[in-house]
Amino acid sequence: MPTSAKEPTVVTKKIGGDKNGGERQVRVKRMPRWYPTEDKPRKLKSHKNAFSQHKRKLRASITPGTILILVAGRHKGKRVVFLKQLNTGLLLVTGPYHLNGCPLRRINQRYVIATKTKLDIKGVTVPDRVNDEYFKRQKSKKPKHTEGDIFSTEKEVYTVSEERKEDQANVDRQILDVIRKQKEKKLLFGYLGSLFSLSNNQFPHKMAF
Amino acid sequence: MAETPAVQANPAKKSGRLYCKAVFTGYTRSHRNQKENTALLKIEGVINKEDTEFYLGKRCAYVYKARRLTACPGHDKPSRLRVIWGKVTRSHGNSGVVRAKFRKNLPSKAMGKRVRVMLYPSRI
Repeated sequence: MPTSAKEPTVVTKKIGGDKNGGERQVRVKRMPRWYPTEDKPRKLKSHKNAFSQHKRKLRASITPGTILILVAGRHKGKRVVFLKQLNTGLLLVTGPYHLNGCPLRRINQRYVIATKTKLDIKGVTVPDRVNDEYFKRQKSKKPKHTEGDIFSTEKEVYTVSEERKEDQANVDRQILDVIRKQKEKKLLFGYLGSLFSLSNNQFPHKMAF
Repeated sequence: MAETPAVQANPAKKSGRLYCKAVFTGYTRSHRNQKENTALLKIEGVINKEDTEFYLGKRCAYVYKARRLTACPGHDKPSRLRVIWGKVTRSHGNSGVVRAKFRKNLPSKAMGKRVRVMLYPSRI
């Protein structure tokens, strides 16, 4: 082992006793008492994946431009246009806002019924900044204890950011253009503005969506 | 709500029924013994075993009213409405009856009463 300029690896120590040579070379740092049997222990393959590594699936019935029926949540019953699937697997969807009050929003596939009505939105570009980070809930900053009341409960009222309004207007304009080009645009406008509900003698297992 | 200058914002429309009507007919049982952990539901309009395929896995809810007000998620005011949630597990027999398991077993007074079979988790 190379000796660095400052630290000697071996030190000479005096020992007592007769006819022993009087000195020994002693290591400054002792060798380990135990060595593992494998230098690099083999790791067993784990099939546990982090959420970001999960495989995202999309039902064959859901393609960009499909009109979906939201079946749960605050926009339940509304018919909305599917734009694309985001990286977390959630579906990006828009009303359009002017037609049914549903904004650019993420929803889970499981709470959605895909209809056979599809729009051709190949030309529609969704701004790049609209992704999962965009929709993530903002954590309110916790006030320090020394500032004012510890128990001050001010519910932060949610206000729509300018960014959202911009992106909403942008995407909606493109989608409304697509709808206007269709022959049955009046029907589509009415359709997207109306709500889905079940009435008497209507059974979902007998319905074609 | 953003409004174009000429058009007034429409009042938010209230959604209609987004669940299927079902009746809680009883618990799984043999002639003289019953197992209360599984409930039998008769879903309206479902009369064959093939028809039940749509409803498998769907969430169900037994909604009822109680005397005492309890807090409600998502609302500030407490309400008298209570729910027992469950899901449709499998079909039962040949005539469209379906088995469901609830988080808490259904109370026997719910027999003959309405259970809502929701349209989610959706597979179509």
